[in-house]
Amino acid sequence: MTSRPNSFVLFPIGKKRFALPAASVTELAHPDREQHFPHTSKLLTGVLVRRGHIIPVCDVAPVLVGPDAPPRKFFLIATRKFSDGSEWTAIPVSGECELTTAELLPPAGKLPKHVIGLLALDKEIIEVVDLERLIGSGVAA
Amino acid sequence: MILFGVGSYTFAIAAHAVEEIRNLDGIRPLPAGAATPRLGKFKHVLDRDRKKYFVVDSNLHFRLFPSKGTRLLVLRDSAAAVLVDHTERIIEIGSLHALPRAFQGEERQWYRGLAMIEERVVPVIDPAAFMSKAEFTVLQAAVAGAEEAKRGAATA
Repeated sequence: MTSRPNSFVLFPIGKKRFALPAASVTELAHPDREQHFPHTSKLLTGVLVRRGHIIPVCDVAPVLVGPDAPPRKFFLIATRKFSDGSEWTAIPVSGECELTTAELLPPAGKLPKHVIGLLALDKEIIEVVDLERLIGSGVAA
Repeated sequence: MILFGVGSYTFAIAAHAVEEIRNLDGIRPLPAGAATPRLGKFKHVLDRDRKKYFVVDSNLHFRLFPSKGTRLLVLRDSAAAVLVDHTERIIEIGSLHALPRAFQGEERQWYRGLAMIEERVVPVIDPAAFMSKAEFTVLQAAVAGAEEAKRGAATA
């Protein structure tokens, strides 16, 4: 997926939509067979196999909308950066995603630290999230 | 690799890390004084070839709900034996995938990596994670102390 500096991928979780910078998004995947094994990492629910890669599934919905998040139908595959490299992470989302171009406005008011800016669309203000901070806040909770 | 099951999960362990797969004959509960909450995953001991093996309950090791352990994997170069539900088969794996960095918990000690076996992702166990040297030292001392106390009571 190619992206311009101000392009974002909008993804729904329940009735609310959020955005990630498009540069960090690799693809939107149809539901695959998620596989599970024991672990103790918060937010991680399992792994997907995509084109020979094993991709961890990180469910951020409880951090974004709370425990009553609706069922997730797709996986948004994004790149996470670590100190020693980067890797793909599958984020379960509850509907189709959309690529949009908009000006990133600074976060206003009392917003969680993982919100790095806002997009003002027609009738909707969308929070742009930083994946690392989002996962970090979920893990720390 | 030996594939084995615990609860609804399948795991793999290097065949050379396992000295014997056996039933539960011969295991006995740890002496009362040796069982401590901190080492709660060790509940039994096995005397085999004049050597004492501490039995690791794999449900507790992997933080799983209880299931029915029926087989023991006696580890080579270790004083640990692992209680598992069943063993499946021995297979060869093509490659070992690194555990994704996103996994940051105890699983980083539990697993050497992940194997893809017929479209299944199977964790490959690090046998050294079942019992640390510190755990072995504490267990060995506790069992020796409990047995000494028992002998003392018998002779008194």
